[in-house]
Amino acid sequence: MSATTASSAGMPDEAPKGAIVPRLIAFFSGSVGVAVKLALLAMSNALAAWAAYVLIDRSQWIALVALLVTTVGIDALYFGRHTLPAKFLLPGVLFLLCFQIVPIVYTIDVAFTNYSTGHILSKSSAITQIELTSLQPPANGKQYFMAPAHNSAGDLVLVLKDQVSGVTFVGTEKGLTPLPQSDVKANAFGITAAKGYSIIKGNELFSLDQKLHAFHVPTTGESSITPQTISTAVELEPTLRYDGKTDTFTRISDGTVFRDDGKGSFVHADQELEPGWKTTIGFHNFGTILASKALRGPFFRIFVWTVVFAASTVFLSFFVGLFLAIVLNKKGLRFQRFYRSLILIPWAVPGFLSLLVWQGLLNDDFGVVNRIFHLNIPWLFDANWAKVSCILVSFWLTVPYFFLVSMGALQSIPEELNEAAHVDGGAATQIFRRITLPLVLIATSPLLIASFAFNFNNFNNIYLLTQGGPTQTNQPIAGATDILISYTYKLAIATGKGQDYGLASAVSIIIFVIVATISAVSFSRTKALENIN
Amino acid sequence: MKMKRTPALLALVAVAILAAVAGSVKSAVAAGPTITIWADADRKTAVTQLANAWATARGANVNVVVHDFGKIRDDLGTVAAADAPDVIMGAHDWTGQLAANGLVQPVVLSAATRGQFPAYTLNAFSYGTAVKKLYGVPTQIENIGLVVNTSLAKVPTSFAMLEKEALAFKKKKAGNLAIAVQQGTNGDAYHMYPFFSGLGGYVFGVNKAGNLDPSDIGVASKAFLKNAKLVDKWNKEGLINSKVDSSTAQNAFLKKQAAFWITGPWNSDTLKTSGLKFKIIQLPKIAYPSVPFLGVQGFLVTKYAATHGVESLAQDFVANYISTPSAQAALANASGRWPANSKAGASFSDPVLAQFGKAGKGGVPMPNIPQMNSVWTDLGQAWVRSTKGAGAAKAAASFTAASRAIADKIG
Repeated sequence: MSATTASSAGMPDEAPKGAIVPRLIAFFSGSVGVAVKLALLAMSNALAAWAAYVLIDRSQWIALVALLVTTVGIDALYFGRHTLPAKFLLPGVLFLLCFQIVPIVYTIDVAFTNYSTGHILSKSSAITQIELTSLQPPANGKQYFMAPAHNSAGDLVLVLKDQVSGVTFVGTEKGLTPLPQSDVKANAFGITAAKGYSIIKGNELFSLDQKLHAFHVPTTGESSITPQTISTAVELEPTLRYDGKTDTFTRISDGTVFRDDGKGSFVHADQELEPGWKTTIGFHNFGTILASKALRGPFFRIFVWTVVFAASTVFLSFFVGLFLAIVLNKKGLRFQRFYRSLILIPWAVPGFLSLLVWQGLLNDDFGVVNRIFHLNIPWLFDANWAKVSCILVSFWLTVPYFFLVSMGALQSIPEELNEAAHVDGGAATQIFRRITLPLVLIATSPLLIASFAFNFNNFNNIYLLTQGGPTQTNQPIAGATDILISYTYKLAIATGKGQDYGLASAVSIIIFVIVATISAVSFSRTKALENIN
Repeated sequence: MKMKRTPALLALVAVAILAAVAGSVKSAVAAGPTITIWADADRKTAVTQLANAWATARGANVNVVVHDFGKIRDDLGTVAAADAPDVIMGAHDWTGQLAANGLVQPVVLSAATRGQFPAYTLNAFSYGTAVKKLYGVPTQIENIGLVVNTSLAKVPTSFAMLEKEALAFKKKKAGNLAIAVQQGTNGDAYHMYPFFSGLGGYVFGVNKAGNLDPSDIGVASKAFLKNAKLVDKWNKEGLINSKVDSSTAQNAFLKKQAAFWITGPWNSDTLKTSGLKFKIIQLPKIAYPSVPFLGVQGFLVTKYAATHGVESLAQDFVANYISTPSAQAALANASGRWPANSKAGASFSDPVLAQFGKAGKGGVPMPNIPQMNSVWTDLGQAWVRSTKGAGAAKAAASFTAASRAIADKIG
């Protein structure tokens, strides 16, 4: 996987076919080209029409406007005549927006919120939910079979039958009125008929859903009977009351007031009402990272290990890959193609699979590696050996990539240079150091940086092989082989009450800054390398 | 150029209209409200049949959507309201997190129906820091047990006997395991729980209100630490080995390289087709009864049912229909688990599942509060560290560290 992503970041440029742009323009001016263009545009418009339909259905008006502007823009652009450069740029720009900019903006947005377990609803939903879950059956609370019905005046009432005593009532928003038991007929599904009332059935009943849930038949004190299903109702009393004016919840039993704490919860001292809601909390998450010892403590250690892991994977793979490329590049070597394909095998097997296989191979009691070599190395169980295993397995996965890249770079070095060096009496090591390596580096150094940045965030290799383990005594979240990104993942899913997306986003922003800085510095250094020419 | 453009534009318009029509057709088909249910692939057929029978009786429609069981809990928090389910299948230990997120609605069962369920199954689906509410209707129960290969060893009546038999079997041949219980690099607190409870450990204590108390962590309880030396002894003699993972344990038992295997009803088909003679019991009492974790699965009504205007219907499906003995039996058959409803259980027969059921006697439902997320890894790792052969940490130190780490995480 490391290889695939890194390769897309920049395989050695194909030999420039200078005529490609004019040829493309020529193609799209011909009649076949126009037809292809129209077909593509028609598809894009059809897709937009379908998306617009979905967006209207869900009342996503902002997204709808963005969609319309984009679609009209695309059509105008490709039907226009004076927009040639834009025609080439637009697809790339759109994909950049969708797959890079939007996730980044979203992550930054989340980093400044408390989005986490217990804080995912809007405030109004949370208030509704708190009110709902604060209801409890009163002492001697009753449960009823129920049927919504119209009375003679056509008003909505509930025909009720006590599930235990069988006593029957009519419930209105004013209260309960007894009904003779003989007037009410019921079967296994509930109440079917009541004298003087027309029972509501079928679709009319279903359409009453929201009305039913807002329907309260007051009984004693604070209690009231509310429909629960389409055929049952239950007597409940509230334990909390919301006051919209002061935006507080008051506990009815003792008058305790719960206030909005500005961090998405109603709290009183250390008591918190569940659920909370999602809200913006400024730099609070960043503050937590700095203030919490559990989070800050391992941060530096993990950072160092992340750099070691990424750097050693890249350099080990690069030098071994280059070595293999030089060896297999020798003219007249027999079975050259066979060897080359052998080296590519680790790359051909999906990484997800080979990582899991490696996990089995490295099991220290039952794994093949220890058995074959008669070793007793705790490959995955000891903190240091687990680090070695991570690097070795990543190396194994990345070597083919650097082998290929070096092979390409080697073949592009003009033969005359080597010959000239030979004639000048250069030793093999000198030729390698002074000529081959610098020239290979020009082509590959951007790839080394890309691969480093990729391995810096190589979640799969770590998580599938060791899951960041083994855990360290006294360091709750981070294991010995956790790199920053897997640590972030653990923060996001396995701390406190479960997910903490806000905190994890804040950490990933920090990681982004680190990777961006390292890459920027390295790229500016490689410019110096190019001056060798 | 102009000549070409007119038909082309017409074509564009035509395709766009077609797409819009195709989109709108789908929503015009169903009359009456539709309940959307998330169920896993294994139980899709059974759930669909049940839901259709219910829907026909009520005059409603159902739409059963297959959703990976492991993802239902978290996806419910991120799904768009329009695509959200009204009813989900779930495990009881999700209850706390779902309720704390405000994603599920309380369910009310009639007194008669409640009486048909063992109290712990209802308790397992109940959550609330102030008012404890029931959030789901239990459908199936599961727990692990000690599977004994009766041709290789006697069924142990005490832990000492198990220890002796298992070690004797291990010594017979290189490659034999004493007790095949899975851990692996990252540990498995669930499969190790019978040993943990047998030594006097617990995860969360219960406060005065009868709720699980996340500030009372029993991973390094006094009772457990007192008995922790036994773990060091087991490690030394090789009774349990943290390098055994799930496939190693299963293979060893099936290839007769282990006489004792700790597993659950998900392997009942494997056991039935293995051709081995076996009996399933509860792990014998160590210092305390070695009870397993109990798992309960069930159906929950989501908050989106109210958004979609089908809450009373969804509640009817879950509270009045899924709870019935016939529905419970159908689900139990489909998933190879014992039904939660005792009436359905009385007429349910499956010798292997029945033995697993007995092995769960006195078991503890997995804690359903969201803080449990902070426990699994550390508790599992404490076992790994103290049972990895030579070089293992002392159990007392290892569990004390885990306990501190869990407390740190919960905060």
